[in-house]
Formats: sequence, structure tokens, C-alpha cells
Amino acid sequence: MRIEFEKVTHSYESSNPMSGLGLANVSCTIESGQFTAIVGKTGSGKSTLVKHINALLKPTSGTITVGDHQITPETDNKNLKPLRKKVGMVFQFPESQLFEDTVEKDIMFGPKNFGFTEEQAKEAASKMIEVVGLGPDYLTKSPFDLSGGQMRRVAIAGVLASDPETIILDEPTAGLDPVGRKEIMDLFKAQQSRGKTIILITHNMDDVANYADKLMVMHDSHLVGQGTPKQVFNDQELLNKNYISLPQSAVFAQKLAAKGFTFDQLPITISELTAEIKQQIHGD
Amino acid sequence: MLVTSLTKSISEISGNRDTNLSNDFFLPKGEQMENIISIKDVFYKYPGSDNYAVNGISLDIKANEWISIVGKNGSGKTTLTRLIDGLEECESGTIEIDGVVTDEETIWDARKKIGIVFQNPDHQFVGATVEDDVAFGLENQGMPREQMINAVDNALKMVDMQDFKKRDPQSLSGGQKQRVAIAGVLAIKPQIIIMDESTSMLDPEGRKTVINLIEQLRSEQNLTVISITHDIEETQLSDRIIVLNSGKIVKDTDPADLYNLGPQLTEFGLEEPFTNLVAAGLTDLIDFKGYITEEGLIDKLCELNLKR
Repeated sequence: MRIEFEKVTHSYESSNPMSGLGLANVSCTIESGQFTAIVGKTGSGKSTLVKHINALLKPTSGTITVGDHQITPETDNKNLKPLRKKVGMVFQFPESQLFEDTVEKDIMFGPKNFGFTEEQAKEAASKMIEVVGLGPDYLTKSPFDLSGGQMRRVAIAGVLASDPETIILDEPTAGLDPVGRKEIMDLFKAQQSRGKTIILITHNMDDVANYADKLMVMHDSHLVGQGTPKQVFNDQELLNKNYISLPQSAVFAQKLAAKGFTFDQLPITISELTAEIKQQIHGD
Repeated sequence: MLVTSLTKSISEISGNRDTNLSNDFFLPKGEQMENIISIKDVFYKYPGSDNYAVNGISLDIKANEWISIVGKNGSGKTTLTRLIDGLEECESGTIEIDGVVTDEETIWDARKKIGIVFQNPDHQFVGATVEDDVAFGLENQGMPREQMINAVDNALKMVDMQDFKKRDPQSLSGGQKQRVAIAGVLAIKPQIIIMDESTSMLDPEGRKTVINLIEQLRSEQNLTVISITHDIEETQLSDRIIVLNSGKIVKDTDPADLYNLGPQLTEFGLEEPFTNLVAAGLTDLIDFKGYITEEGLIDKLCELNLKR
């Protein structure tokens, strides 16, 4: 599902001047089937940006095109259901949004809301509970008897169950242990290989390097950089201005560079880093 | 018993008649450090649950120690700290804080010695301004106003946020919010500070500021730090790492020893230190077993690079 922002500006109607402008003249394209990461400091506009994709927020000026839907300042709240069915959103700490008395009912809520029959929704729930790595015996449990990590998975299953074409994730792994984090990230990568468009807001630069095809950098409501992760992490201007931090492999390469190694481009993953080191030590 | 009689005999030999002299004076240096927290055979399960969230834990923590508690989600880390702070009551076993066994009566005094900084900075603000927020804990203690103004200013200075005291906490960055939360904790002058994944929601820069601040405060204020974390890099700063699994302590050791476990670390929900992963990808160049420090790895690689 192709997503395009054309000169999108969003101003919050707030008396607090600190939070006046949410987005300033943002233009960008997210290709269908791409895994896009969005990074930037707290308050830089990342969440504001993605909330425009399913019209939770509307632009003050500019246009967002999501598949065959157009969102403009004039878009009203009627008829947004078809759009929202196609764009699933996993918020930060999604477990705080669980409310039904069984896991199954919770997962079925979204699909039913989007017009699935009871039977279809049940089927989606039993399929998705497996996809997120929990067994079918979890369906009858109360979500509130689960651990934080398990609740997170149930909440993600609830979003996947409506079969959205685009999945937006706002720091989906915050607070998960590293093993759980990797499982969840692999799950989203698998969704991408099934044709979904993935948009991930994160602070974890290693996840960006390991999973994303494209990286967008937000700063003070502006889109200040975009490209492949490799391009962006090698953008000297963004680094000098301290708009991004680097993955561990790139930081390590910088330390080696200070001691006689040379890197044309900073490696961003461990395999890139070790390949570069081997090549330099063995020589060509 | 042995210690007492030994003390006695030494004082007899030396003719020392100072009866106030503490027994500790004669103990070997290592044992002289007091345990600020002493946990003995503690069991706890949540109402309605069949499994023990804390399943027979005994643990001594010394004053001024920095301890990391690690383990998978659901391993009992947060439950253990809730028991320490008396937010939950042990089913059996005892917890001693600063020499006093906690119970319904003593817990209130014990709590004044413990400050907790939580994970989500947005969930811990109650005041309309930064200074109101820091004052909240002191108001609860009934501190007179004049004294309170000083205490708030001091706490904000310690975290370098004094210039922000009139600001709305919601207008701050994540790292700044956590620094204010830490100031709120410091204002009540705790001896123990518990960091419950307090850096996990911060961007890398905010994380670094908070960790450096805690390290600095630990030495300046003689704090004991208990840090619950999933971040392997963060554990490198601690004196000791406790690994929990299914409510039990499965490891109690120093960072280097733990990292030596290599791939087995994932069984405890941890990832391997970055340097281990890099070294594992370079086994045809370097001979390495277990944990390698960043400095060690860089030195080794530079040596090879010069030789070629």
C-alpha cells in the first residue's frame, strides 16, 4: 500500500507554544511492501506523522494519499472505516488497551468492528494467537492474568487479526526483554514478507539497521533526512547536528577508525562490520 | 558468639575498657560493610495464581552497592522490588531494611529510605510544575514550607534541572522527565534507589544522561542502587548482577563472569554483549573464549592490523 505525504503541516490547537507545530511541511513516499523506520527524539513529530496515515489526525494543510484514499484538511470523520481497516496501528504499551474478559474476545474485537462475522473473527483469532507465538490455550484466558510480554503479543494479534495492509508500530518492543524483542521484530519482518507495509517508530538503531529498508529522521517537526539506513547513518550532517545516533556496529567502527582502520562507509550491522574487519586484516 | 568472645578477649588483652567500641571494629574489612537490605527465604504468589512469582529468594545487598537484577519478562524482578518496598507482603520469609525487619508497622519508616524510579516517565507526574512535582513526596511527609523550598532546590540541582523548575513537566524530553522523577526521589533523601527499567523508554542520549547521573549520585550521596534492566550494556556498570528465572536466583555474580556464559545468556532473556557477538564473527582471526571487553577487542584488532 503506497503512502504519500505532500507538503503536510499539522499545528496543534494548543495554548502551549512548546507544542504548537506538530509537522512542518513534510513530503515523503513510503512504497508498498517496504519496511520503513522512523527515528527522532521524543517530541520530534514521529507519532504525529504516523497518526496522519489512518486519519487519527488530519493535516492543517497538505495531502496524504494512502492507497486510493486521500486525506486533506477537509476530510471528515465519516467513512474512515475502510481506511482504518487497511491501516492497523499498534500503540506504545498496547497492553493497556486490552479490556475484554478473554483473550479471544479481545482479538476478535477489531475484526468484528471492521465487519467480520462472528465466525470469521473467531477464525482470525485462533490463527493470530499462533502467529504471535502463543498457543491456542491462551484464547480462553483473561488478558489480565498474562505477563506484560504476553499481553503485548495479544494486543498485536488483535491488530493483525483485521488483516491490515499497512501496520504501524509505535515502539512495539519497549520494555520487552531482548529475546522477546527479537521475536516480535522477526514477527513483523515475516509480516512484511507476506506483502504488508511496515512502519516502525523506534529508538533502537540496531533494530533499524537489522530490519528496515528505509529510514526517516524527524527533528523539531521537520523531516530532516531519509534514505536507506546505510545512507542515513553515513550522513555526516545529520550526525554532526546530533539528529540521529548510530547502531553499535557503526560506533565500534568509528573507534577502530580512530586507531588506523579505514571505512569508506560506516558498517551498520555486525555482519557488515566483521566482513570489513576481515577484509582489512587479510588485505585484498 | 565467637565474635563476641573474640572481641572480649582482645579488649582484655589490650586493656581497652571502652565498652562502646563496636564489635564491627574487629571484623575483617569485607564483613564490616553493613547489609542495607537482607532478604531471607522469601516466597510470594499473586492472589489467584498457582505459581510463586518469588520462589524462595535470599539475598544480601550491601550499602553503596550497585546491583543489577536481570531476567526474562515474568521472572519476578518487579515483584521482588515491590516486596522490598512493602507494596506487596511476603507470604513467608523476612525482609530487613537497614537493620529492621519490615512488617505492617515498620514498613512506613523503611519506605522513607527507598526511592523508586519507574519505567514510564509520563506515569509519575502529579504536579503542574517541575518544582511542585518534586515537592509532592515532601508534602506527604509533612515537611514545613521553608524547608521544603530548600529541599526541592537542592534535589533539582543534583540532577541539573534547576533552570526548569517553573516548567510544565509534560513539556520536557523523556530524559529530562526521568531526571525530574529522580529529583523527586532524591528529595526524600533515600538510602536506596530502585530503578525499575527507568531508562527503557528513553532515547539513547537520555539513557546515557540518566545512567551517568545515577553513577555520580551513588558516590556523592552514598546511595545503594538496585537497577532492573534488560540492557546488557547498562549492567556493565554494576558491582553485581543477580539473574532471576521463574522467581528464583539462578546467578549472583559480577558482570564479566556473567558475560562469559556466552550464548547461554539468552536462556535468561539477555542478549550477549556486543563485543562477544563481534568476536564470534571473527573466530578465524582471533582466538576468544567467553567475554571480551571493548578495549580488549579493539587492542587485539589493531595489533592484527599493524602486523599485516
